[in-house]
Amino acid sequence: MLETLRLSWRLTLRHWDVYRQNLLPNIAPTVSDPVFFLLALGIGLGAYLHEMEGRTYLHFLAPGLAMATAFWTAFFESSYGFFIRHTYEGIYKAVLTTPIGPREVIIGEFIWVALKGAGMASGVTLVLLVAGVIEWVWLPLVPVTGALIALTCGSIGFIATAFVKNINQFQTVYALVINPVFFFSGIFFPIGGTPALIQVLVWCSPLYHGVRIGQAALWNEAVPATLLLHGPPLLAFTAILVPLAGRLIRPKLYQ
Amino acid sequence: MEASTPTAPRPAAAAHGDETIVRCRDVHKSFGAIQAVRGASFDINRGECFGLLGPNGAGKSTIISLIYGAASRGGGDLTVFGLDPATRSRRIKERLGVVTQDNALDEDMGVRSNMMMYARCLGIPRRERRARVDALLEEMALLHRADATIKALSGGMQRRLVFVRALLGRPDLLILDEPTTGLDPAVRLLLWEKVREMKRRGVTLLLTTHYMDEAERLCDRLVIMDQGAIRAGGSPRNLIREHCPGMVAHFDPDPDLRRQLLDTAEADASLHFGEDSAGLYIRAPDLHCLDLLIRRLGLNPGMIRPANLEDVFLAITGKELSADA
Repeated sequence: MLETLRLSWRLTLRHWDVYRQNLLPNIAPTVSDPVFFLLALGIGLGAYLHEMEGRTYLHFLAPGLAMATAFWTAFFESSYGFFIRHTYEGIYKAVLTTPIGPREVIIGEFIWVALKGAGMASGVTLVLLVAGVIEWVWLPLVPVTGALIALTCGSIGFIATAFVKNINQFQTVYALVINPVFFFSGIFFPIGGTPALIQVLVWCSPLYHGVRIGQAALWNEAVPATLLLHGPPLLAFTAILVPLAGRLIRPKLYQ
Repeated sequence: MEASTPTAPRPAAAAHGDETIVRCRDVHKSFGAIQAVRGASFDINRGECFGLLGPNGAGKSTIISLIYGAASRGGGDLTVFGLDPATRSRRIKERLGVVTQDNALDEDMGVRSNMMMYARCLGIPRRERRARVDALLEEMALLHRADATIKALSGGMQRRLVFVRALLGRPDLLILDEPTTGLDPAVRLLLWEKVREMKRRGVTLLLTTHYMDEAERLCDRLVIMDQGAIRAGGSPRNLIREHCPGMVAHFDPDPDLRRQLLDTAEADASLHFGEDSAGLYIRAPDLHCLDLLIRRLGLNPGMIRPANLEDVFLAITGKELSADA
């Protein structure tokens, strides 16, 4: 197992090598995207909303948007990113002639997705901290929750990659899965006010549990209770989705 | 110079001259309804250059994938360095290098960073990587392009870089999957020389190709594959001697000449008449017989050449090797 991880890590480092070649241009859009979302909705729309759950709309939005960064980065990395590396660039063909096998490629991809999710969520959180719209006490929860969100959403991306016939089909996954999950995850409005059916569906979304933990942490409000309520489902989704995605994506690397 | 490129195998290789590196017995592989490999059996011995010769779709690359564990076999026994690639591919891959059919170079990185990355994948210690990469880039005349992007390299340079990648791990077995397809003659010659040098160093070589001249020049032994099955095997010279010995004269297509040659060949069992995409040809047991025939019939051949593996392939499969290549 240790050797498997060591080999997987070599693939993760490959992605980091490529990423850091253009570090700023790579990071800038990932961080600026939620910041603009926050400015437009928090300040623009927020001007018409007195409060949401006892805080300004800007303060309400901030933690959820930070956590969603892990969600988006993981989806793009595991869908378009993996597909391009696999089908257009063919980089795994050569990597697989080294002692790295399909299993190590998959684990290495997941490590990368988790780290990138953790890093991006933390990066946005730091910007929000500087802007003074979040609390800092529970900051260490952000990278951990970000990594778990990234692993679950990365799994959805890898599962999509296992089934799509061409790169354009990701658009369908984006429109029918990723977007609804994003909008109904408690980032923009509390789920408690929605019809029961939606509440049940939302409970099946790993992002929702991650967002709730992020909100509790960055509002510094009921953190232990929230962790008890939403931690187990998030861990359970991770434990189910990651192996499932690994199994489904494997035939792409092994005939 | 003499000492660094010995013509004889290394002592270690000589001591185990007959050691089997790859042992393949009745191996099968299907992709859905397509039988890609149908009962392949062969041995590759230490230090030899072994060839898989056949047209595209013959099953050559599938056998390569099975050897380094990139695909699961449907049946039969296969060992590489005495290990089963289905369960021990990691140990096997530590000892082999692959010149992949597609270059599959990482276009997100430059020339040297590409090779540094593979060096890391191979587990070469960090402090040795740079020196080893640069030495091989130098050997392949690519060091001056070390900082270039992959896309800035010519096709031949990219191919040479794939050789660098395959040699980084100092492999005991070097697999060359269609190494010179689509390259100009100068680059082919350079890469052939590289392959010979590897052989002199005692590296075992497995070459797939659909170029009969490549197989004839490089391989000690080879098998001829068609539609997933091995149809014949042996050294190039023995295969030619066994299946179609002699000299071949080629002619441009012409209906009258065709009739004349066909009648002549039917009257004399030692002669073989045929047609291929280039025109008509007739094969005689030796140059003397062919010369007599040409004088007797007053022919004007376009080319006279010794029989080669192309003729062997045609004799065995009834098809031209290069027709669909």
